[in-house]
Amino acid sequence: MRLVMGNEAVALGALAAGCDFYAGYPITPASEILEGMAHLLPPRGGVFLQMEDELGALAAVVGAAWGGARAMTATAGPGFSLMQEHIGYAAITQTPCVVVDVQRGGPSTGLPTLPSQGDAMQARWGTHGDRPAIVLTAASVREAYDATIRAFALAEQYRQPVVLLLDAVVAHMREPVDLPPPPPPSRQRPRPSAEPPFGEHPFTPFGSGRAVVVTGLSHDDEGLPRTGSARASERMLRATEARMAADPALGGLTSYRLDGARLAVLSYGVTARVARAAIDALRGAGQAVGGLELTVLWPFPEQGVVDLAGQVDAILVPELNLGQMVLPVRAAVAGRCRVESLGRADGTLFQPDDLVAAVRAMPHDSPVGREARHA
Amino acid sequence: MPDAMTAEVRAARTMRREPLGVRLSGRGGQGVMLAGAIFATAAMYDGRHVVETPTYGPEARLGATKVEIVLSEHEIAFPAVEKADLLLCLSRDAYVKYGRAVAPDALVVVDETALPTSADLPPGLVRLPLRAVARELGAEMVTNVLALGAIVGLSDAVSSRSLERAVEEAVRGKDELREVNRRALQAGLDLGRAGRAAGGGWAGGRAAVRRD
Repeated sequence: MRLVMGNEAVALGALAAGCDFYAGYPITPASEILEGMAHLLPPRGGVFLQMEDELGALAAVVGAAWGGARAMTATAGPGFSLMQEHIGYAAITQTPCVVVDVQRGGPSTGLPTLPSQGDAMQARWGTHGDRPAIVLTAASVREAYDATIRAFALAEQYRQPVVLLLDAVVAHMREPVDLPPPPPPSRQRPRPSAEPPFGEHPFTPFGSGRAVVVTGLSHDDEGLPRTGSARASERMLRATEARMAADPALGGLTSYRLDGARLAVLSYGVTARVARAAIDALRGAGQAVGGLELTVLWPFPEQGVVDLAGQVDAILVPELNLGQMVLPVRAAVAGRCRVESLGRADGTLFQPDDLVAAVRAMPHDSPVGREARHA
Repeated sequence: MPDAMTAEVRAARTMRREPLGVRLSGRGGQGVMLAGAIFATAAMYDGRHVVETPTYGPEARLGATKVEIVLSEHEIAFPAVEKADLLLCLSRDAYVKYGRAVAPDALVVVDETALPTSADLPPGLVRLPLRAVARELGAEMVTNVLALGAIVGLSDAVSSRSLERAVEEAVRGKDELREVNRRALQAGLDLGRAGRAAGGGWAGGRAAVRRD
């Protein structure tokens, strides 16, 4: 058992996942990931690069992935904005990589470096065009470690950039955790196969030694530009999204004391910790309240939320933003129960009492809201 | 549990509030963040659940900084401290910024240089010459470890044995720092225990007072 910081857990999780390349640019509250990788990677034969900015950082990561590296970068809001272009580039070039965004108050330099959850939508839609997006999050040091490992696995499975969205509190908090020592750096190069380098699964991964054409244009399975027949690209996009939707590894929900609950708090990241404390207090006072925590923000775990709406009368969605993940919650619930948004974007955490008061203010002894909002 | 529970740990436990919210504060460069990590490590060695959350501004030096540590016998949900049970302030800025959000009957330990000139000082405030004694030991940079010794001498919030172990680990591989930190820890413990004997710390009875 050791006291580990969230950002340190991300670095250790990356090593556990076989990460052998890191490029980044320092920014609070993500810098300890960069510092950790600078310290850990070179002695293992890995590559650490401090780039000139965040554009260069993700560009280097994409290039390293083409060479077969398991590559990642980490940043905070302002750097995440700069990375959007290359997230799109990684997506269309089907490049597996991991991008950690430790959210802080924004936009722009905003509230350095107070906690925020303001990048939830940007992580999904920040780059232009349609793409299947995977965005994970975590509410504890242990979860940050596990989510980082998952991020690498999903990136390779879906050949996509995977975003791990943390917040300044989870990134900087230290908790006692028992983490296994990093495995020795014995990554085997992928083998060339008869499968094409792009397209739907299965495919030959980058780094097998096979010559591959990579393009930011819509392309066919061999990587050749095919902008004249983009139907194939669209089919691939739809197929990937369907595969993600059916993947139990992207289930993305953890329940907390939901048994018999008539009210639910749906939350993620550090706010899930506040919600647990509030739920404990409310349960102690005899109220039938439970929690549902998102560990995968995107693809949005719609079915679990639909099921929740069938159980409870109302759902409270507290977020450190002015109401972002409440939007897909409302869409999934589709009027089956009341959904209340509780947002704040002043760099301050909710206190458990804030959520207790918000839950108490919700009408819940009758199926309210069903008839009111949907004619 | 990482360690067998010693009698000392057991005795210290009975004096603790549940959960205990600790806030250490000062100025960037005073080693407050490191103090928080050492204190939280000591709590972990005591076998308690602990979460430590640092907060600092964009300044590398001199901004007001704080680190909050929640200690509990149970798993900790909310990782921040709303009203501190135990507050340390090493700078005036930190006292002004973080000094008010304390629980009734909190133990507030303030360096003598950090007190505002005209302020209504809360009851339970303990004023100690932490920086001055550290300077006497030859290094003001050990104020953080000395302060940890003092608050533990006053409150037994963590066991002194675990604190000693955590300090030793913090200076592992830094031979030139080990001795001065050892002396700082001992000086802090002495200062705290003397303050407690003079009625400054939590007596057993008062420790039982719970906040809402």
